[in-house]
Amino acid sequence: MSENGHIVVKGIHKIFKKGRTDEVRAVDGVDFSIMKGELFGLLGPNGAGKTTLIKCISTLLIPDDGSVTVGGYDIYKESLEVRRHIGVLTGGERSLYWKLTPVENLRYFAALYGVPRKSVRKRIEFLLELMGLTDKATVRVEKLSSGMKQKLSLARVLVHDPPILLVDEPTLGLDPYFARFIRDFIKNELNRRLGKTILLTTHYMDEADELCERIAFMNRGKIEAMDTPVRLKQSMPQKQVLEIKCQGSLDKGIFDGIREAASINVSHDDGLVYVRVNTDNPEVILSNIIELVREKAKIVSVRVTVPTLEDVFVHLTGASLKDG
Amino acid sequence: MWVIIEEVRKSFRILLAYPVEVVFWIFSPLLWVIPLVFQGKALIGAFSSTPFGSLAGTDEFIPYVLIGAIVSTYMFSAVWSMGNSFRDETYYGTLEHILSAPVQPGYILIGKGLYNSILSTSFVIVQLLICVFIFGLNITLAKIFPIFLFLFLLIVGLYGIGFMAAALTLLIKEAHGMLHMFEYVLFLFSPIRYPVEVNPITKAISVFIPLTYALIALRGLLLNIEFNFWKNSIILLAIDCTLLPLGLFVFRRIEKRTKTRGTLADY
Repeated sequence: MSENGHIVVKGIHKIFKKGRTDEVRAVDGVDFSIMKGELFGLLGPNGAGKTTLIKCISTLLIPDDGSVTVGGYDIYKESLEVRRHIGVLTGGERSLYWKLTPVENLRYFAALYGVPRKSVRKRIEFLLELMGLTDKATVRVEKLSSGMKQKLSLARVLVHDPPILLVDEPTLGLDPYFARFIRDFIKNELNRRLGKTILLTTHYMDEADELCERIAFMNRGKIEAMDTPVRLKQSMPQKQVLEIKCQGSLDKGIFDGIREAASINVSHDDGLVYVRVNTDNPEVILSNIIELVREKAKIVSVRVTVPTLEDVFVHLTGASLKDG
Repeated sequence: MWVIIEEVRKSFRILLAYPVEVVFWIFSPLLWVIPLVFQGKALIGAFSSTPFGSLAGTDEFIPYVLIGAIVSTYMFSAVWSMGNSFRDETYYGTLEHILSAPVQPGYILIGKGLYNSILSTSFVIVQLLICVFIFGLNITLAKIFPIFLFLFLLIVGLYGIGFMAAALTLLIKEAHGMLHMFEYVLFLFSPIRYPVEVNPITKAISVFIPLTYALIALRGLLLNIEFNFWKNSIILLAIDCTLLPLGLFVFRRIEKRTKTRGTLADY
């Protein structure tokens, strides 16, 4: 692990007590390093510990053990410097004052983040222009759409021009148009053009695959694997995936007798069930699988494809990214 | 400093977004006064009473209680508003975003406190005008400076209590019950509504409550009751010097505790 990383996380642990005896190991010995200008992704299902980790890095949560430096500053001893160098974007809409206008929100956060008073007006105008919100500058936030609110949240994060961005589930709950805008903006504007170091957490496989130079799979507080998306997919021992799309209700347990499959994942999306079987010999197990599926559901389509990050995740952890 | 100004500006803008709340702030000083006038009149049949005077140092019941109401306005606005301010931020969803800013939370709290003090002062000015024009309270220009001096000394100490109340809210989230209890204890043991000399226990405990000294001084100034100016100023100053750093210390400790437990933004 590089000591010269822009964000260096070493041996972080965070345990939450639940009642007198129970505890949840939200982050359980995590190590990674993110280089300056890198777009690094933490991919994992809900409850994997991604947000807890982001909160530790952003000084909102004090880890039980381990060390974190951000831009060379220690989160324990130099928390104010850490905060000066980061911007934190979370998914969901509630990170702004809904009764204030975009200008009023940005002005307040500019003061909070120490933007020189003389340059605030120009900075706000620039950010609103950048986000295409100039015509909404004096409209109360409560009147804006979810996507516009998220654009404004991005402007808020950028108000002090931080070199490091912690982006937690940025497209959560957004419609496809705004999700596309946010993804393109993160990749092209923030990372490529402005050279920001970005730690992005997501449970959307496509988002991580499309945006991130490197990805760490996180599950139950641990990092299970870390590499480029291409190498992660190449690491699969079986290079083919049999995908069956169907309608109905399927339980993963019905496939327990299929021994030729390296892993089987059953997921639900848009009212359809997707069965993905990772195998080297799809033609061998095809008839068995179809027979099992037909007993419970109506098959819509069958195809042989290549592994996705979701398949790698299932292969490594036995869990789906949609779990949690 | 800019953070404090922007915090005040933001708080007022949010207040103005709720017109009914503004109406409350305009009319509440009047609503405060009227029951006290009726209560006094019903109890003693007039605005002055000799038995009351033997305990309070003035026969004037209504102005006495009104001054108690003025001082307690500051007290309770500091405790309630600063106490609940971070709870409001939790509701807005902005608490984590302001606490992850590179600024000490103390400045944000001072901004919130200043906003409350401005509101309270406007409230108090209306109350004072009622005292002057309805009850003939004599406020000469010479008294203005000492009045504001004592109000300032009171407010600084109250910020310390406000910090602790804010910390308490971060810790236990729903602190209404405890804040109510605190309010009732002060009503009981400090001379807000009645002279604590009426009972030996209330008299003994009142000595330990900072509000008592502000009330003695302000009543002394406004109602011409004899009091020791320097003694009360120095005691209040000493209380300020204790409560303000203590409030910040308690806030930082509890903020750290909630960050360790991971309950910062919990409802």
